[in-house]
Amino acid sequence: MSQRLIVIGGGGAGISAATTAKRVDPDLRVSLYTEFEDIAYSPCGIPFVHGKEIPRFDDLFLSTVERYVADGLEMNMETVITDVDLQRRTITARSQTVGFDRLIVCTGFRWRKPDVPGSNLDGLHYVKNIRAAMEFDKQLDDLKRIVVVGSHPVAVEMAGNLGHRGLEVHLVDEGPWVLGEVLDPDVAGPVHESLEKRGVTLHLGTRLEAFVGDGHVTAVATSDGEIPCDAVIVGLDKEPDADLAAAAGLQTGTTGGLVVDDHMRTGVDGVWAAGDVIEVPHGLTMIPIQGLTGSHAYSQGRVAGANAAGDDRTYDPVWVPWGMVAGDYTIGGFSFGETLATAMGVPYVVAKGVGVSRARYFPGAQRTHVKLLAEPGTLRLIGGQIHGGEGVKERCDFLAFAAKRGATLEDLAWMENIYSPPIGALFEPIAIAAQNGLADLRKKAAAEKPGAAPAKAADPA
Amino acid sequence: MSGMPAGVSRAQQRLREQAELHLRLAAMDDLRRDHPTVTSAPHRPSGGAFWRYVFVPVYRRLPWETKERAMHALKMTAEDHGWTPPSRTPGEPWRPPAPRD
Repeated sequence: MSQRLIVIGGGGAGISAATTAKRVDPDLRVSLYTEFEDIAYSPCGIPFVHGKEIPRFDDLFLSTVERYVADGLEMNMETVITDVDLQRRTITARSQTVGFDRLIVCTGFRWRKPDVPGSNLDGLHYVKNIRAAMEFDKQLDDLKRIVVVGSHPVAVEMAGNLGHRGLEVHLVDEGPWVLGEVLDPDVAGPVHESLEKRGVTLHLGTRLEAFVGDGHVTAVATSDGEIPCDAVIVGLDKEPDADLAAAAGLQTGTTGGLVVDDHMRTGVDGVWAAGDVIEVPHGLTMIPIQGLTGSHAYSQGRVAGANAAGDDRTYDPVWVPWGMVAGDYTIGGFSFGETLATAMGVPYVVAKGVGVSRARYFPGAQRTHVKLLAEPGTLRLIGGQIHGGEGVKERCDFLAFAAKRGATLEDLAWMENIYSPPIGALFEPIAIAAQNGLADLRKKAAAEKPGAAPAKAADPA
Repeated sequence: MSGMPAGVSRAQQRLREQAELHLRLAAMDDLRRDHPTVTSAPHRPSGGAFWRYVFVPVYRRLPWETKERAMHALKMTAEDHGWTPPSRTPGEPWRPPAPRD
């Protein structure tokens, strides 16, 4: 009789785990359980439908339940699992007990609920479920003023998109600049300006005190006064939704996420976990982190699914390339920015440069700002941030990989690059930054050691 | 993989949360000095005097190597959970990753 694999969760990790397991071992009986009505859609696209940059919610769906059933998966929709018994190897759903041979936990994340009065009022929205987003979208044309609480990247995307739709948007955040947990202050200026151009009023360094209303939220009380509103978007922190697994006895780590090894194995034989519910180590510090991107969740799900089906795949520590459009301004980075490196006390030197995204004479050329962080001494890359117009995502992806392989400022300073007027300038902005960083270091060394040759910084194209 | 009693795990979570919050606030205060016109003072939670006035200054005085050793000793890193730090030898030629399929 074939073995049964149960996958809990229908997000990116759950879907990729289930489909990969079935592909690796077609004889495996794979049953997926999700508490939601829908599957295989992109929640990351929700803010852009609200902003009318994407015309329909239907466009966010990538596949259908029927398609997965045709591929041989048993799909259990709208089915909440209330208990997992790792000793008996059973799950309980709808008061029925189902046995498993292998289990993959992909229960994802939940938004942190603000611990203030009024947090149960109607009119508070969390960006996650597409059905809830569809309902909210129907109301949007009748609303005038929205308060966004928190500056998680999704919250900032919501603020920018709701502003783009013509609503009056107020963003309230305790941080000194938006996205303060990932972004450095030298990028704050253009990001704030872009959001404000879209109609977003920023209330920074401002504490949320309460949601005000009688049944439905009508205002948000803050340390800076009360802001009247018709609805609230809550975008504080994502937390691993690990309660079910933890109650079953799986270990949680310092982030609250499930602890797994590099095969996505939990500490219990025959049980794997993947996606936003787990924590994985940062490539430089080996400190576990959680709440990464959808592409991380998909990759982890594939590793967990393949291994649960008998393969032997590993997942590497992460260097976390990230990027987003804040207002109309593209920002990104990988690993550490200066804020995080300073907070952790990781020593670094900085290399900065400004280049252009296309040949400078080509229409549409935009300035690309690059900041690299490198380990003093070895000058190995440990982090960076890029902002500007085009090519931010590709450069961040490349730099995360380069850092993972131990690339140094010296390597990047003399990297090859494409020169083609419509898509790339003569001088690559990353190389300009690295050359400037090396020149600064030489200047510093020259100042400390009289007689050393002076250095010259590279010019942007 | 070594298990961890739930109480110890919760204590580690609390330690990490508080340490990260106060170290981040201190870093933000430092870095925003060069950008006063586009940043505001971060909101500081009430309480937290120990973290702000004792933990942060002491942590900052320690060399990174000592911090790393302390985090290992407190089992705050992933090596105890079956992960291996990646090899990043400077100057090492790039090699394609081992096939995974």
